[in-house]
Amino acid sequence: MRDADSDRTTVEQPLLEIEARGGAAPSEPVLSVHDLTKRYGQVVAVDGLTFALQPGTITGFLGPNGAGKTTTLRLVLGLAEPTAGTALVFGRPYRKLEDPSRRVGAVLESGDFDPGRSGRNHLRALALAAEISFDRVDEVLALVELSIAADRPVRTYSLGMRQRLGLAGALLGDPELLVLDEPANGLDPAGVHWLRGFLRQFAHAGRTVLICSHVLAEVAQTVDSVLILSRGRLVAERRIDELPAAGALEALYLELTTTEAS
Amino acid sequence: MTAQLRSELLKLRSTRTNLALLAWMVGLVVLVVALHVLSFGAGTLSRDSNQMKILGLGTSIGALFAALLGAMSVTGEFRTGTIRPTFLVTPRRTRVVAAKAIASMLVGVGVGLVAEALTAGAEAAGLAARGIPIELGSGDYAQLLAGGALAGAFFAAIGVGVGALVRNQVAAVVGLCVWLLFLEPLLLGDVPSAGKYAPEASAGAIAGAIQSQIADTLIAPALGIVLLAAYAALAGLAGALLITRRDVG
Repeated sequence: MRDADSDRTTVEQPLLEIEARGGAAPSEPVLSVHDLTKRYGQVVAVDGLTFALQPGTITGFLGPNGAGKTTTLRLVLGLAEPTAGTALVFGRPYRKLEDPSRRVGAVLESGDFDPGRSGRNHLRALALAAEISFDRVDEVLALVELSIAADRPVRTYSLGMRQRLGLAGALLGDPELLVLDEPANGLDPAGVHWLRGFLRQFAHAGRTVLICSHVLAEVAQTVDSVLILSRGRLVAERRIDELPAAGALEALYLELTTTEAS
Repeated sequence: MTAQLRSELLKLRSTRTNLALLAWMVGLVVLVVALHVLSFGAGTLSRDSNQMKILGLGTSIGALFAALLGAMSVTGEFRTGTIRPTFLVTPRRTRVVAAKAIASMLVGVGVGLVAEALTAGAEAAGLAARGIPIELGSGDYAQLLAGGALAGAFFAAIGVGVGALVRNQVAAVVGLCVWLLFLEPLLLGDVPSAGKYAPEASAGAIAGAIQSQIADTLIAPALGIVLLAAYAALAGLAGALLITRRDVG
């Protein structure tokens, strides 16, 4: 068995320099979803969803499998078209953004790589299309500690390494909004710790994060507020500091999502 | 648009898929040309029209592999999921399809050239081994290479269009193989009056060589170029239109 993270040169935190960037005016939400609905035939995947993200915040997007989280992300990112309602990033539909990779970075699934292509070439192909320099590719590879493995085909990467490569791709354009689907999946404890620190600094610099996750304990440590989704509907929107104690998020989540589903 | 094109060219170069595809093509060309040159009688093989028909194998095989390469540049991204980051970086999907078409056409030129040159070389070697003189002139070979290169480019674009329409890799590859290897030969044999305007027959007209009875009633090369360009444009536009309207899963 290959050691999952044998490529790592160091477990130290890389030096992070995230420049503060007020992408949106203070009052303008970075991401705003209004009455968003997606139907697939008879199935309503997303049902009249409305929420907004303010700059400088980390928001957890929670819900059981099939609640509509991933569908919502696809609608927000212009990969799918809503049946009704709107999803706007920086005030426009994603597909109308001038230079999307410099404004939004997203990791949708850890499997979005060609197994035969090296990590570096995966990033370089994206960089070329976005007109981002190869120096920046090396920079993000170093940031996620993949410099040494960068020229190996992705098929030799562990799940954690794929997660980090995905994150590197999302960070290529130095975006103001990060959208992450289960980013801690497959990361070792040091990786999770690093990611949490990174996201906090990212938000501290005035940037914004939306993070889908099932790991409630991890979410409670990382995010400022949570959106809980069940059967395509928003069933709760809470600030983490409003919740009384550790374990309160899990209790709330289970109460809301199991009553709804039964 | 040049940014997307450079990205697509890197994608084509950075996996071994296309190299493997080319290796398969080389093997296939040598095999089928050898079978033809070794199995026919010396009398049949010494006629120049038959020597041209054997060269037509290169036209068809080049067209097929150029189309497969073009299709797989789209369907491969759907298979691996890289289409999602691709569309996130370039949400204007028409640009992605156009860049893939141009990149694949450039490679398609090479595919067509290699297929025809290899066919000509294998045939010449086989005939020489059997002591049969070559009846073809340098004009025949020049048209073969130039026409094969052009047909390769157009078929690569057709492949991109088909890939964007179908999106599923297996369906696109099987579809292109069935059409080019079975349906079109049937059409050419049974309904030559219409078949001569079909894509593979048009490629044969441009290169001056096709392995079919239709070889004697080919359309003019210029008409072949116009038709094949129209097929490529049609497939590309339809693919771009549909891929823009459909959700990515």
